[in-house]
Amino acid sequence: MSCPPVLPVLEVDRLSVSYRTERGDLKALRNVSLQVPRGEIVGIVGESGCGKSTLISAMIRLLAPNAQLDSGEIRFRGEDLLSLDLESMRALRGDELAMVFQDPMTSLNPVLSIGRQMRDIQYRLKESKADKNARSMRMLEKVGIPDPQARLRDFPHQLSGGMRQRVAIAMALMMKPSLLIADEPTTALDATLEVQIIHQLKALQAEIGCSILFISHHLGVIAELCDHVVVMYAGEVVETGSVREIFHSPSHPYTRMLLACDPGGITERTKVLPIIRGFLPDLVDLPAGCVYRDRCDMATEACAEQKPELKDLDGRKVACLLTAESL
Amino acid sequence: MSKLLNVRQAHVRYPLSGHLMARLTGNHQAWVNVVRGVSLAIDKGETLAVVGESGSGKTTLVMALMGLVPLQRGEVEFESKRILQGPRGRLKPDRRRVAMMFQDPVGSLSPRMTVRAALAEPFEIHAPEVKDTGAEVARLLDLVGLPVEFADRYPHQLSGGQARRIGVARALALDPALLIADEPTAGLDVSIQGDVLNLLSGLQKRLGLGIVIITHNLNIVRHVADHMAIMYLGQFVEQGTSEDIFRHPRHPYTKALLSANPNPDPDAQSARLDLAGEVPSLLNVPSGCEFHTRCPFVQTDCQESVPVSREAAPGHIFQCHYPLKED
Amino acid sequence: MSRAKLLRPDGLLISTWRKLRRDPLGMFGLIIVLLIGVLTVFAPWLAPYDPNEVDVYSRLLPPSGDHWLGTDQLGRDIYSRLLWGGRVAMKVSLLAISVSMAIGIALGMLAGYGPRWLDRILVVTFDTIRSFPTIMFALAIVALVGSSLNTVIVIIIIASIPIYGRVVRTQTLALRDRDFILAERAMGASTVRILFRHVMPNIAAPLFILASMDVPVVVGMEAGLSFLGLGVKPPTPSWGSILNDGYSYIRNSPWPIIAGGIPLILVTLGFTFFGESLRDIFDPKLRKKG
Repeated sequence: MSCPPVLPVLEVDRLSVSYRTERGDLKALRNVSLQVPRGEIVGIVGESGCGKSTLISAMIRLLAPNAQLDSGEIRFRGEDLLSLDLESMRALRGDELAMVFQDPMTSLNPVLSIGRQMRDIQYRLKESKADKNARSMRMLEKVGIPDPQARLRDFPHQLSGGMRQRVAIAMALMMKPSLLIADEPTTALDATLEVQIIHQLKALQAEIGCSILFISHHLGVIAELCDHVVVMYAGEVVETGSVREIFHSPSHPYTRMLLACDPGGITERTKVLPIIRGFLPDLVDLPAGCVYRDRCDMATEACAEQKPELKDLDGRKVACLLTAESL
Repeated sequence: MSKLLNVRQAHVRYPLSGHLMARLTGNHQAWVNVVRGVSLAIDKGETLAVVGESGSGKTTLVMALMGLVPLQRGEVEFESKRILQGPRGRLKPDRRRVAMMFQDPVGSLSPRMTVRAALAEPFEIHAPEVKDTGAEVARLLDLVGLPVEFADRYPHQLSGGQARRIGVARALALDPALLIADEPTAGLDVSIQGDVLNLLSGLQKRLGLGIVIITHNLNIVRHVADHMAIMYLGQFVEQGTSEDIFRHPRHPYTKALLSANPNPDPDAQSARLDLAGEVPSLLNVPSGCEFHTRCPFVQTDCQESVPVSREAAPGHIFQCHYPLKED
Repeated sequence: MSRAKLLRPDGLLISTWRKLRRDPLGMFGLIIVLLIGVLTVFAPWLAPYDPNEVDVYSRLLPPSGDHWLGTDQLGRDIYSRLLWGGRVAMKVSLLAISVSMAIGIALGMLAGYGPRWLDRILVVTFDTIRSFPTIMFALAIVALVGSSLNTVIVIIIIASIPIYGRVVRTQTLALRDRDFILAERAMGASTVRILFRHVMPNIAAPLFILASMDVPVVVGMEAGLSFLGLGVKPPTPSWGSILNDGYSYIRNSPWPIIAGGIPLILVTLGFTFFGESLRDIFDPKLRKKG
């Protein structure tokens, strides 16, 4: 039996964003396309300069003043986010579209108690204060916060960093949004704390059935949490696929090298660790051809002339001339 | 055999400010003990990794060794000579023989000084007889693999990796015998983390340096360190050769740390050791074995008595009533 | 890291000038500052009349071709008096600001970098001085030692030290625990070296801005004190005393007081615009990468 295709919760369609600078236009995102299917967790992997901050900023409509949208759309449940007026955008945030950032204090107001902030998020519901508090406490329990009733009276500064981030997650998921955007939420936390929080996030996601767009450079976390992975490099998507495909059989040379460099993946003790030589290209003055060719160990002459497109390869997508040829 | 650095029972404490603090915390402690009896030894040409999460005291320990904070109790011997303490309790190591690299690569360089000036600093402070600092600067840049044009750059014009190398160059200016590196891979992308570590181990081979690395990144420890020590709440709970510890950790905290930094493999069975709760405050160190509040294998006597140091194999020391068996 | 970073870096002065050029208010401020500088320095050559030359037959004349800004109650040319008064104003502000800045820097760095008890004493001292209304303070000093230009300068210096001291202290405190200061201490740098080679250059920018914004304040203080008769003695022209004269004769002619107000307005606008523009240039730069 064939099911009609379900609309993905989030669809980025050939998005290009650049920043106006003194030296010229800095092309931070070029033709970026990705999808977040309903109820699934998609991870974005990329290093500094890959464009993930610009992508997130574009999604939540907080781009810098010198940014310009060159082309493309971001569709959230079918609607173009980029052309929504601010009123509608505000209605979406917190309800259907939620966010968690690296620094929990981005989401938490230092002068209001936790209980007050969690009630505020429920402003759309016509319920009593006691009912709202009860819901808040249930959420706090789900993210592993002991003694939730006492926590409602606490202020953010009274909580540890790990607790604050849990509260931020609880607040984001309380209204059961369709999509949670999490930008490096556990990067600043200790490893033992990180695994706890990732576990709770995974459990919550299964319960609520929301989608998550998870940005991180911790490959171990991505492997554990995500269903699909998008690999970005210097403003472009170079590969997408299921988490197994990406980690077990990476196609793009950058993905391959990135995984090889992760010290966690190197089981044999080695004195000389692998690296990717070279530098990021100049995003103002982009070289012709493939953006990764200067650092690629498999680059050919064709790579300097022809720009690879993101092509389908057995259900996943890769932007590399060499893999496309071997099809 | 005389060791390069020998530390015996080091204690460091910070004063709690004011009587208000004492009233609020309910105890009339004037001090918080951050390092509570640490002993370690390191030889020429060896690398020791001190591993711990936030609040473990690892940074405070090395700051005390460098004389940046007072050492309350304990003895430190460097190159077989006892390091003396100044009037305010700060150690006075020979700063030409011990050098330290700090966590923030760009932030550890003086913002208004060029690279050239930064590299000349050690000479101006300790070796004013060296007239041609320009030659030394060129030599140091070459040592870390940076072109001599970088000498005119300002810190904010360097990438994280380049600033990191300048930090290494500066630390090695006066040819020290011991190098202390605080989180040398922090803030660096995975694809270039190996660069700094390879540089350090290469230099170690050439110059016979002893290196102490402070890190919370267990993944790099295996490759880079001969010896490691796990720190929790101001004490070493386990120490020994990296090989011994990775193969058969004895302390549950060590195992938890090891399992929290998994191989990025979506199919990997997580033999994860989950810890309860969060790190207790140093103001309220748990009785007996300080780890008992989070230990998944806790028994009654763990709360009552402090475990003594035991030796699993020569040099492999741990403190636990119920050490883990080999699996 | 992009290849862009391999280009030669610009010096601080050049990049500041480029940014200043793009700010119209800042440029306007700079032009006025330069204008005032030129006029006051070259006053002896630019003034058409002797500022103290009395000509009773020409008293309280409105502006004309002979007297660009008219004459005061003794027939003295106001324009010339303003130019010479400007010399007093600039002399006072340069001297007062440099000395109070120097002392303020020294005390501020001591407070920020030294032991806590010293910090507490200095902060209490600063706050005590700041809490005194300047005029009361000035009256008290003048009552003790009599009024003169030097007295005015000393009063202003004492009143301004806490302003610089506080700013330097805050900046020093902020820098004290930064990694690069720790790195210098780890290298064994002496406190003096750290303060002068590493703290000072990094707090200099806010200080210049503060000094620029302080010029109108100091000029105003001097004018105010002279207005009250506590400053320079007549017939030495001072913007404050010119205002006072104009105030006394306001019913006879409005021109002297209007003319007397012009330089104060110009100084305030010019230095404030320039200072604010500098602040906008330096603030974001201190936070972002180049």
